[in-house]
Amino acid sequence: MALEKELETFKSKLPEWKGSEGKFALIHGTDVVNTFTSYEDAIKEGYARFKLEPFLVKQIQAIEQVQFVTRFVAPTRVPTV
Amino acid sequence: MPHFTKQFTNGAPIITAVLKVTQARADALTAANQPIPPMQRMTALVDSGASCTCVDPTIIQALGLSPTGSTLMFTPSTGAQGHTTDQFDASLQIYCTMEQAPLEIPVIGVVASELRVQGIDALIGRDVLKFCLFDYNGASGFFTLAF
Repeated sequence: MALEKELETFKSKLPEWKGSEGKFALIHGTDVVNTFTSYEDAIKEGYARFKLEPFLVKQIQAIEQVQFVTRFVAPTRVPTV
Repeated sequence: MPHFTKQFTNGAPIITAVLKVTQARADALTAANQPIPPMQRMTALVDSGASCTCVDPTIIQALGLSPTGSTLMFTPSTGAQGHTTDQFDASLQIYCTMEQAPLEIPVIGVVASELRVQGIDALIGRDVLKFCLFDYNGASGFFTLAF
């Protein structure tokens, strides 16, 4: 699983973000850079700051919204360079 | 409102869509003196049963994308536990005709799913349909997409 450190950071910070539900957190390693009102803004800032280094953008939700696909598809890991 | 009406392909609403790297990633690639991968033309199924847009891993690899997100996903193959999967940022375009402005979503999160075995490259999910009017006329065998 990619972005393991960032996901751990996200989970550890989640209780502190009660007032920020719906916003998008930008995380690099163990650093929370900021929260943004849109996914697009968070992605733009991620590339502007970290270029091609790994970073995580994830929406802050008390209960994580899951994705449903009714078609028979298998989520796939993509080997990355 | 730009729109098009098409006959079903093999009984399904199939469209052509284009996926490319986001402008922000393109800028980062340029700054790193790396080439910008060419945009990928996809045969895509409009699927109102998909909450998110899914793309075959060959498309993700052709664009050289790295994960920038993660999401919990449920499909008939994941069972009740679901599956945490990587999410990739990309830019999506759907064209009516070359003369009309496309539906362009500059930054969208997509997930990778094996779809080529089903004869398609992508599922266009409700994260895209929320910007559209989608009319599925099964009786006539045509569908209309407007945005």
